Amino acid sequence: MSSEQEHLKTTNTEDRFAFKNEHKAALTAEKGLDEETIRLMSEDKDEPEWMLERRLRALKVFQEMPMPTGWPGQPDLSEVDVNKIVPYIRPDVEMREGTDDWENLPDEIKDTFDKLGIPEAEKEALSGVGAQYESEVVYQNMKSQWEEKGVIFMNMDRAVQEHPEIVKEYFMTTCVPPSDNKFAALHGAIWSGGSFVYVPEDVTVEMPVQAYFRMNTEGMGQFEHTLIVAEPGSEVHYIEGCSAPKYSAFNLHSGGVEVFVKEDAHVQYSTVQNWSRNTYNLNTKRAIVEENGTMEWISGSMGSKATMLYPCSILKGRGATDTHITIAFAGEGQDIDTGAKVYHNAPETKSTIESKSISKDGGRTNYRGLVHIADGAENSSTAVECDALMFDNESTSDTMPYMEIEESKVDVAHEATVGKIGDEDIFYLQSRGLDDDDAKKMIVAGFIEPITEELPIEYAVELNRLIELEMEGSLG
Amino acid sequence: MSTTQVHANLTEEQVRQLSGDFDEPEWMLETRLEALDALEELDMPDVIRTPGRDWTNLHELDYESLVDPLNAAENKDQVGPDEVEVLAWSEAVDEHEALLEEYFGSVIDPQENYLTALSTALFSTGTVVYVPEGVDAEDVTIRTEQNSRSLFNYTLVVAEESSSVTILERQSTGAEQDEQYYSGIVEVVAGENSNVQYGSLQNLSEEAYNFSYKRGDADTYATINWIEVNLGTQLTKSSVSTELNGDSSETQIVGAFYGHDDQHFDLDAKVWHRAEHTTADLVTRGVTDDVARSVYEGVQDVGRDAWDTSSYQRENTLMLSDESEADASPKLIINNHDTEASHSATVGQIDQEDLFYMTSRGIDPRSARNMLVEGFFVPVLEEVAVDELREDLEELVAARLRQRD
Repeated sequence: MSSEQEHLKTTNTEDRFAFKNEHKAALTAEKGLDEETIRLMSEDKDEPEWMLERRLRALKVFQEMPMPTGWPGQPDLSEVDVNKIVPYIRPDVEMREGTDDWENLPDEIKDTFDKLGIPEAEKEALSGVGAQYESEVVYQNMKSQWEEKGVIFMNMDRAVQEHPEIVKEYFMTTCVPPSDNKFAALHGAIWSGGSFVYVPEDVTVEMPVQAYFRMNTEGMGQFEHTLIVAEPGSEVHYIEGCSAPKYSAFNLHSGGVEVFVKEDAHVQYSTVQNWSRNTYNLNTKRAIVEENGTMEWISGSMGSKATMLYPCSILKGRGATDTHITIAFAGEGQDIDTGAKVYHNAPETKSTIESKSISKDGGRTNYRGLVHIADGAENSSTAVECDALMFDNESTSDTMPYMEIEESKVDVAHEATVGKIGDEDIFYLQSRGLDDDDAKKMIVAGFIEPITEELPIEYAVELNRLIELEMEGSLG
Repeated sequence: MSTTQVHANLTEEQVRQLSGDFDEPEWMLETRLEALDALEELDMPDVIRTPGRDWTNLHELDYESLVDPLNAAENKDQVGPDEVEVLAWSEAVDEHEALLEEYFGSVIDPQENYLTALSTALFSTGTVVYVPEGVDAEDVTIRTEQNSRSLFNYTLVVAEESSSVTILERQSTGAEQDEQYYSGIVEVVAGENSNVQYGSLQNLSEEAYNFSYKRGDADTYATINWIEVNLGTQLTKSSVSTELNGDSSETQIVGAFYGHDDQHFDLDAKVWHRAEHTTADLVTRGVTDDVARSVYEGVQDVGRDAWDTSSYQRENTLMLSDESEADASPKLIINNHDTEASHSATVGQIDQEDLFYMTSRGIDPRSARNMLVEGFFVPVLEEVAVDELREDLEELVAARLRQRD
């Protein structure tokens, strides 16, 4: 405490200025995340006092909470040194405009883009290092179209300034409070960037809202916050644009997603994440679904070194519905620990979870799920189906569903299968003239079809291509 | 581990006396004393925990007041056919020291957790079943009736090469007290090409607490089949598992339970595939009624060297009341890709259409419901190869249903 106070006293404006520019030096500093850093950050963003207070409160929770340990088979987080997190946030403040260079990207990521056949300008945008001019134009057009209907879609930092009343009500209050877990607390303290989506009553946003744009300007944001409020009767499909392998020096991604699905509203949240292989992806995503509302989570997890992510729906109103469709692909050195959580807290609620995973070259996938049916949630039903496909004997695939059922008038079913690629299937395809590689690709494409079906075509194509690349082992 | 523990009023003297009564060799006494010593450091057995809750709370039990090692009393019946040795613990110590030295504590580490250590330090009754090579025996019966506040029981089964044995164990309560604690450890060593069938019917008083740990080690071509029936106690923590350490070994774990009133069953079934061409089949069905609660954990763990594994698991719970609770977690841990594995779990209530169909055929609703519950157990009963155990289970389920209004 005393050193912190001392630090505060000696920090004048000039120091802060210097502090901000010396990000190289800051990177080597081994210092914990402290109040001073948060204050600097908040000030830099010109945030209102209440947001700073929330950050500081979250910081306190973060400092008090233990790391998640003791989960059976959980990914190794020993490398995630919370005392080293602070240096990672400084470049975030510093490089908000994206000062990195395409040329500085590692070859494997450039290769990926080449193989995906993505034009140069788009590549830079996708990797988060440059501005995407054409998209800006498209964005502006779409934006005005939505604005007429009262839809708000903007950067989260701007939303704090322009729509404080909405943000104040929903931001990390009832959906994902900082006390939820250590990384939610961390996120609450140092979040930056992200998307804010507000859809007024009875408005249907026909085309998917995509967060690609955000990434152009906030390419380095690894603590982005997404807040979606869908008022009664509205409908929106949000797509998180993580379909490109974002490269950065940071090694921790801790985003937060909060979705409010009001009565009769319908929200679909799709994401294809393909973080670089040095990233720890520790996210918290949650939706609160009111009466007759529908929440759909569609996600593909490809990248990262380790992922711990369990998108959660709280079915709060009678007749609320949840759908989870997820696919995980773990290659060499990857540990993808992901799944779904659903709390059935009202009668006649329904959830469907469909999870597919592929592990290859020593990768590990784990489905970790929790379905909770509260006492009184009568006539609720849930069906969970997990299928795992394994390529070789270096790989690992686990399934750990948890079901807590407190109500008798329910219908609960869980099913999981694990298998290797069928020799007979390959033989059949080969006998039809396909070579071994193509046969395997085709089997995998068929295996993940339920997921790709749900994605807009460009994402589906990209997901398929990414998986094909993984299968070739050309990314190392 | 912060609540009251029992070792405060346990002494080395007590353990020496227990061991002395059996005239145990020095090494066995040492094993007991080391287990006693280890209590200080050991944790309770793992129970499932999800954010905000432990599914079973073993810490709240007041072991200190429950455990009374020097006043154990039981009614024991341990018999088998002539070609099999079924020995009371004192006889086994006398006649088979070498066998005990080799296998006692070899399958279940006495210091695996707090409760196994407690059991090892304090057991005062036990049975050793020794099946010599090539012997084919049925009808080994071990009945234990608990007549004291606490009872610690130890069972060792050693089946030599190409032998076969069927063992039927029962636990019940004789002289009933308010609260009782029964702890049983069962180790099964199945030699090459042997076949061990171990059925257990736990029907202790509904005031009792029960901790039961059963594990088998299957050698090449060996088969270990478990039947685990739980009806009694207010709290049971039962664990049944097999290590498939030999190529082409097999195991089946069949479970049945029926919880009513405020009973709490925490049941786990686990299999470790550690060799090639191994097969496992786990089937559990249970009913929860009133405010009873069931916790089921099934683990199929396929090791890196377990080529050509087949592993199946299913668990179904039928809820008869709105206040009961059923938790399930069937886990698959797969480290070898040459595996076919699946698991499934369901929770639901009596099918209304079935009920309607039966009542429309003139069966009164109560009988219809009882028939459907009895029918629900059929897929498990079919897997119970021991006639006597199957019939008893049917009878006990029917009796419990009759008891219901």
